[in-house]
Amino acid sequence: MSTISLHGLPPDVREHPPIVLKLDERRGTIGMWLFIATEGALFLMLFVAYFYLAKGGWNWPLEEPPKLRMALPMLAVLLISSAVLHWGEKKVEAHAHRKGRAALSGTILIGLIFLVMQVFEYRDHLKSLTPQTSVYGSIFYTLTSFHALHLIVGLCILAYVLILPDLEPTQRSPHRPYHNAAIYWHFVDFVWIWIVLFLYVSPHFR
Amino acid sequence: MKSVLEDRLTGLWATPHTITGWLSTVDHKEVAKRYLATAMGFLLLGGIEALIMRLQLMTANRSLLTPEMYNQIFTMHGVTMIFWYAAPILSGFANYLIPLMIGARDMAFPRLNAFTYWSFLLSGLFLYASPFTGQSPHGGWFAYTPYTNVRYSPDLGIDFFALALIFLTISTTAGAINFLATIFHLRAPGMSISKMPLFLYSTSTISASIIFSLPALTVACVFLELDRRWGTHFFEVAWGGAPLLWQQLFWFFGHPWVYVVFLPATGMISMLLPVFSRRPIVGYPYVAIATVLTGVVGFGVWVHHMFAVGMSHLGMSFFSAASMTISIFTAIQVFAWLATVWTGRPVPTAAFKFAMGFIALLVIGGLNGIVTAVIPLDWQLHDTYFVVSHLHYVLVGTNLFPVFAAFYYWIPKITGRMMSERLGAWSFWLMFAGLNLAFFPMHVLGVMGMTRRIYTYPEGLGWGGMNMAATVGAYTLAAGIFISLWNFAVSRKKGAVAGRNPWKADSLEWAIDSPPAPYGSVHIPTVESRHPLWDSHDEDDDPDGKRILDQGRLTLATTALDAEPQSVARMPQDTVTPLLLALAMTVFFTVLLFKALWLALASVITMLVVVAVWLWPEKEKRPV
Repeated sequence: MSTISLHGLPPDVREHPPIVLKLDERRGTIGMWLFIATEGALFLMLFVAYFYLAKGGWNWPLEEPPKLRMALPMLAVLLISSAVLHWGEKKVEAHAHRKGRAALSGTILIGLIFLVMQVFEYRDHLKSLTPQTSVYGSIFYTLTSFHALHLIVGLCILAYVLILPDLEPTQRSPHRPYHNAAIYWHFVDFVWIWIVLFLYVSPHFR
Repeated sequence: MKSVLEDRLTGLWATPHTITGWLSTVDHKEVAKRYLATAMGFLLLGGIEALIMRLQLMTANRSLLTPEMYNQIFTMHGVTMIFWYAAPILSGFANYLIPLMIGARDMAFPRLNAFTYWSFLLSGLFLYASPFTGQSPHGGWFAYTPYTNVRYSPDLGIDFFALALIFLTISTTAGAINFLATIFHLRAPGMSISKMPLFLYSTSTISASIIFSLPALTVACVFLELDRRWGTHFFEVAWGGAPLLWQQLFWFFGHPWVYVVFLPATGMISMLLPVFSRRPIVGYPYVAIATVLTGVVGFGVWVHHMFAVGMSHLGMSFFSAASMTISIFTAIQVFAWLATVWTGRPVPTAAFKFAMGFIALLVIGGLNGIVTAVIPLDWQLHDTYFVVSHLHYVLVGTNLFPVFAAFYYWIPKITGRMMSERLGAWSFWLMFAGLNLAFFPMHVLGVMGMTRRIYTYPEGLGWGGMNMAATVGAYTLAAGIFISLWNFAVSRKKGAVAGRNPWKADSLEWAIDSPPAPYGSVHIPTVESRHPLWDSHDEDDDPDGKRILDQGRLTLATTALDAEPQSVARMPQDTVTPLLLALAMTVFFTVLLFKALWLALASVITMLVVVAVWLWPEKEKRPV
């Protein structure tokens, strides 16, 4: 953690003893964690709705469970993106900002690859199932598209951090943009793990 | 020296008195005053709707309203009161008081705070656009499917309901995050969690409840809107959907919400009742723990709204038992308050009267609540006026009365002027008598079989007298509220000057000027006990000026539990971006109503741009 004091201010504002405490950089992170908590609750509700509807829906268990052919590689892609971003965060902490930005760009690229795979997965899926076909289609597409929307938001955040002048807290901006964006991205990846487990894998075991 | 310092701090924190300044202020005190005024506005709207309904039900076979109009009015009444009055008015108080109580100079995220207000206001206006289209929601405040499916409710009313609520959940969630970050990061040095004012316990408990329960409402409303306009089948049995899913999601959110509009009110009572009893509260740790446990167990009782839908007996027994458990925590608080008054030297001010009235109403509303928690009785009383009576005792008694107590207690701090005690007494007795006259007969009406939400009833059932009494009571209650509003308006000009601490109270907000300066206190205060102003208080004992923090918009950040100084938090400057974001969201929800997807996309892009500007590192404002 970088220590920033207010010693560097011009002398005319220094008639009081300078502040020796460092600038607060935790507020933004606290806010992000609380935001992730409520987003987590949102996905929890969606999963609960999925199982609640599965209990009563007339087309469950499914005659043909969703194919894993695309979902598992998509999982691998997202896990790799998180690993890259984490490496980048370590580099930023070591003040290697160029590597940090490279990792950020890499993560964005991998995220875009995920979205392209999602499009192909949807095109394949839509041949046999639409959101209007049955309640299963409704919850399947709602859940996965909610995830995709969160992923797009995550991409916007990462792209924003990429164009920010500083990746670490400074006098002008006391937050930790790289870290806060990264924990949100990891959260979106984490949700995909559960989507794969619940929506893609579990129907094969009924 | 002092005035130079004050000028410097004012220069840093004050918002210019211009239109731009007014639209871009992030000062928690300004935001809070708007919150309070707007929520009162919604109280009046919802109140007028109630009075219209009571005119319709005054005697048998009246035809003031058509059935459809009646449905729309009771729906708007419930939705307005529960979502746009009861919780926001408490957010208004929390917004004003919490930074002052903890000696911070603003909320943890001042810009988010401004956004929370604007989106609260605009979502309410969005909802109130619906009457002008003649298509208000008509499904009751909990909008059960399948009635609210598009087949049975084809017009835009329910869409207004669902989209306005999604909009409001964004605002409320942002507020909850802000309160938690503020309470657990910006408390004055020394204010460990065992010394926090009890209002902070209740506000942080409900903020956590909001974070985990509100997404259920969001999901339910998203499902409903998708079903209605985008062809999905979540709630349609013919396609495998489950109408009961709506009820499960709605009440999983709905019951914690009851505590959201209740607990901060009890927190305010725990602040002001001891002041007017001239002693510290009895059983501080028990009250604090009971508050938190109410919030936690509040997550395990939602099914008691659904005992009549047909479920397993084991499940229902669990929820019945959990519902009764909650009454233990409430009883702990009630006995703590009673013991405080009993062992103190009560000063019967208007605020004290409202507080005592609240305790009486809470006991009545709590006891008839236990009646409905007993499953066989619930089956008999479900959807009758008994339930109407219960929920109004609970909501009016435990939200409106504490809110009025809080107004009489804190308005002198906010405006710097005292309100008339004599008018306060009139207001209290009219409100108390009116409420009991309006809602006590409804118990009997419910037992006699008068179902809720009927727009009229035939003669000869013996309901006429009690309905007339209820109508008279409702108007008496309204008269009481009006007297307090008038009292407030008069006090702004003619009230006695309040001074810093007119009630000789104990918490930190009373250590500073009334109304407070834009920066709060010159020195960030330190705290050594639960009652800083009653015990030792050394706000000015800061010879080195270490706690002045006048090199920018700064406040002190401390550790979450022990409140040890940790760092200096830089606060953002005023900006118009929160308002712009809320406006862009309003456009987004409006065009969704008409499924105009390109416009929706354009408004989303606008939102992203606005957020980018909002978060961009800013130039520092230097002291002048």
